[in-house]
Amino acid sequence: MSTQFAAKRLSKELSKISSSLPPGIELVSADNFEEWLLDIRVLDNNPLYQNQTYRLKFRFGSSYPIEPPEVVFVKLPDRPIPMHPHIYSNGIICLDLLGQQGWSPVQNVESVCMSLQSMLTGNSKNERPPGDEEFVRGNRLRPKDIEFYYHDNDV
Amino acid sequence: MAKSLQLKEEGNRRFQAGDYPMAEALYSQALIVDPSNPTLYTNRAMARLRMSQWENAIADCNECLKLSPDNMKAHYFLSQAHLAMHAYDDALEHGLRAHSLCVKTLDKSLGTITTHVLKCKKERWDDMEKRRIRETSELELEVVGLLERERDQTLREAEAADLDEGGRKEIREEWERKIEKMRGVFEKARPKEEKRRQVPDWAIDDISFCVMVDPVITKTGKSYERASIVEHLRRQPQDPLTRESLYISELRPNLDLKQACDEFLEENGWAADW
Repeated sequence: MSTQFAAKRLSKELSKISSSLPPGIELVSADNFEEWLLDIRVLDNNPLYQNQTYRLKFRFGSSYPIEPPEVVFVKLPDRPIPMHPHIYSNGIICLDLLGQQGWSPVQNVESVCMSLQSMLTGNSKNERPPGDEEFVRGNRLRPKDIEFYYHDNDV
Repeated sequence: MAKSLQLKEEGNRRFQAGDYPMAEALYSQALIVDPSNPTLYTNRAMARLRMSQWENAIADCNECLKLSPDNMKAHYFLSQAHLAMHAYDDALEHGLRAHSLCVKTLDKSLGTITTHVLKCKKERWDDMEKRRIRETSELELEVVGLLERERDQTLREAEAADLDEGGRKEIREEWERKIEKMRGVFEKARPKEEKRRQVPDWAIDDISFCVMVDPVITKTGKSYERASIVEHLRRQPQDPLTRESLYISELRPNLDLKQACDEFLEENGWAADW
């Protein structure tokens, strides 16, 4: 389908999330239909993430929402990368929902943010994915081109 | 034959390069050699559409349809030309023909055609709305004019009958009240622009977020716009909600929902580009 398709759907998502978003999710910028920034916070008392805000970067291709958006955490002075066994220290997220196989076109920016919120909420391990250092050093691929091995879907 | 094909190829190249007059001339030459090739007509129609030659484009599409009545492109281009000429009913009719041909042949243009059908519905509604507003305000002016004439007539008669200033004032005020009341009636009949312009969720496709033109239902009972779900299933034969396997051939039209969406758009054309 055409780029217009993605733009149309994104403009509708934008008008919806500009007026209301669930607690702990905030729109930072959406100046075009290619890249949006959102902030998320974890709402419960999970000590790993308390009092922290995390910055998410969404990138949309022309086939969105048939194809998933590319979603990564972005590191800024006041926006760390959350500690999680599925989040690499360069912000790349290993979540089946964001992969070609796990994605569904009925998902949207809001639902992805909520999934990430709950992925953090449910975590108690203060650690990075195995091989993080090596991965971060060596990776030159875009997140969508990485073949993640979803080894432990129960985390 | 080979000559005509050669001219067509050259025409296509010119078209790609954006040289529509030259492309059109080349298709015309090809048609002189081979007037029985439907593709030459649709190609020329496309070049003519780009040059805003609506009537010539329509003529080409009609020629093509004589040769091949189920030509999807001919119906699509015909619809575009009619839309440009504000012939909304014809535009919608041929848009829908193109859509059903796309569905039948699993054509890749289904998404584009679906968007186009929505556009036809929207523009047709806009036009009707504009006309309705104009007609209502004309009627209002006319009725108020009649009342004012009647008032003046009565006042003249009162003057002729030597009614004093007080009596004439009473008559004037009575008529002003009537006119005011009439204006109020028209005002009440005017649809408020801010009247809740909301699209009900049942009319919206969860993939494109547009009002559905051709809703189809999955095994789980959820309906989607055909163009959207087909695009998804081509890449991944899975129900978007449950991830159960789902094939294009298993989709069924949801006729009642289609009718409901049609009726909703009929009354709320603005929703077509909500």
